Amino acid sequence: MKVYECCGVESVTKKVYCSNCSKEITNEREVPDEGTVYSFTVIHIAPPEYAHLAPYTVALVQLNNSSAKLTVRMDEAVQIGDAVKLDEIVDGTYIYKKVS
Amino acid sequence: MSVYIHSVGMTKFGNSENNSLKDLMLAACREALDQANGLKIDAVYVGNFMGGSLANQEILGAIVANDLGLGYIPTAKLEGACASGGIAFRQGVLGILSGEYENVLVVGAEKMKHASTAEVTQVINSAMDQTTNEKYAGLTFPGFFGVTANRYFYETGASKAHLAMIALKNRENALNNPLAQFQKPTTIEEILNARIITDPLGLFDCSPITDGAAAVVLSSKPSDIKILASAQASGPTMMQDATDLLSLSAIRLSGRQAYEKAGIGPQDIDVVEIHDCFSMTEMIAIEELGFFPKLEGWLAIEQGKTRVNGEKPVNTSGGLLSRGHPIGATGIAQIYQLVHQLRGNAPNQLEKLPRLALAQNLGGTGAYSVVHILERV
Repeated sequence: MKVYECCGVESVTKKVYCSNCSKEITNEREVPDEGTVYSFTVIHIAPPEYAHLAPYTVALVQLNNSSAKLTVRMDEAVQIGDAVKLDEIVDGTYIYKKVS
Repeated sequence: MSVYIHSVGMTKFGNSENNSLKDLMLAACREALDQANGLKIDAVYVGNFMGGSLANQEILGAIVANDLGLGYIPTAKLEGACASGGIAFRQGVLGILSGEYENVLVVGAEKMKHASTAEVTQVINSAMDQTTNEKYAGLTFPGFFGVTANRYFYETGASKAHLAMIALKNRENALNNPLAQFQKPTTIEEILNARIITDPLGLFDCSPITDGAAAVVLSSKPSDIKILASAQASGPTMMQDATDLLSLSAIRLSGRQAYEKAGIGPQDIDVVEIHDCFSMTEMIAIEELGFFPKLEGWLAIEQGKTRVNGEKPVNTSGGLLSRGHPIGATGIAQIYQLVHQLRGNAPNQLEKLPRLALAQNLGGTGAYSVVHILERV
C-alpha cells in the first residue's frame, strides 16, 4: 500500500499540493496492507449499484506503521480494534478480512 | 456597513405533489417580498442542490426574477450540497457588503419526493468524491455518520439511546411547528426499535426526503435583525482523510471565524439552528461550535441542555430530522426559524426573548460549513 506524505501528514490519497506548506507532495512510501479497525458501519440501505450486497460492512482501517487510514469493505462482521488485512482489490475496492 | 434581514417566507415542508420546484420557490419568495415594505430587489441568489439531476430544472435564478417581475437583474444558483442554502445566503450578504447591491432576495428550494428513495440516495451520493476507493467500497452518505457514531460510542459513554434523545427532542419541537414535515408524536422505544439504515443509525436518526422552499430579503437598510457575522469553511471530502474522525473541522473553523467576526463566544448565543442531517451530526456540531466540551455533547443531551428553554436550545424548529430537509432550502429555513425566535413569534418561542442566534449549515460529509450569527437590534 502506498502512502503520500508532506509536513507529517500521511494519506492514501495522492493530492497535488500540501495544505500546510503549499509545495507539491512528492514523498511516497510503501506501508503494510495490515491494520486495525478504527470504526465501521453495516450498510442496510444502499444505492442501486450496491443494493445486491446489502447488508455489507464498510470499515475505516488504521494502517499499521502509518498515520494514514483507509476505507475498505469487509467480507465479514468486525469490531473496533480487530486486526485486518487486505484480501483482494476488486474494481478499485479494497476488500479486507480479519487476521485469523 | 452592515446587512439586515427584513423579511422571510417559507412553504410547508413535506410532500408537495402538486407543486413544481418553481411553484415552491415563488411561494416562499412572495411571502418574503410581501413583507419587505416595497424594497426593490437588486439581485437574486438561489440555493439548490439537485434541481438539475432530480427535477430537470436549472436557470432557477432567472425564473425567479422573471416570474416575480423583478426586472432583468443579476441572479445565480449556488450549489454546496446540503449547504447550498447557507452559501446562497452568504453570497447575498457579500453582494451587499461589496457595495454592488442594496437589496437581495435569497431563496433555497428542493423538490425530491417525486423520486424513489434509491434514486435520491444515488443523487445525494454525488456529495461525496465519486472517483475514490471510498465510493467503490460502497460507503454511503448516512454510512459516514454510522462510522462516526460507532467510534464516538467507543470513545465515550454514549450509546444509541443518546442519539434517540436527539431525534425525540427534535420531533417534539416539530410537533409545535405547523410548517414541519413530521407532526406525529413518537417515543424513545419507537426510535430505538426502528429499522436500521446504517448501523447504528435507524430510520429516526436520518433526515427525510422533503419538498419545500424558504426565502429571505436582505438589505443594507437597517431593520430589527442585523447579521453580526457570516463565515464559511471547507473540510475533508473523504472519511479516510479526516485527521480526527470525531471532528467535522469545517464546522469548528466556520464557527470560530464567526465568533471572531462577531466579537462574541459560544456562551453568548441564545438560540441555535444546526445541521442535524443525522442525529450524530447534531452531537458533533454542538461540540464543534463550542457549546459543550469535545466528547461531552452526549452528557449535555442526557441532561436536557439542548431542549427548548434548556441552557442552549438547539433546533427549536424540529431541525432537519423532523422539520424536514429539502436540501437547498434547509440553510434558509434555519434563518426563518431564528428570525421568528428573535422577533418573539416562533414555534417553541423561548420564554426569555433571545438576542443572539446562530445558524450552522453543513454540506457533504463535512465538505462545507456555513455559520451565520444574527442579532436583534
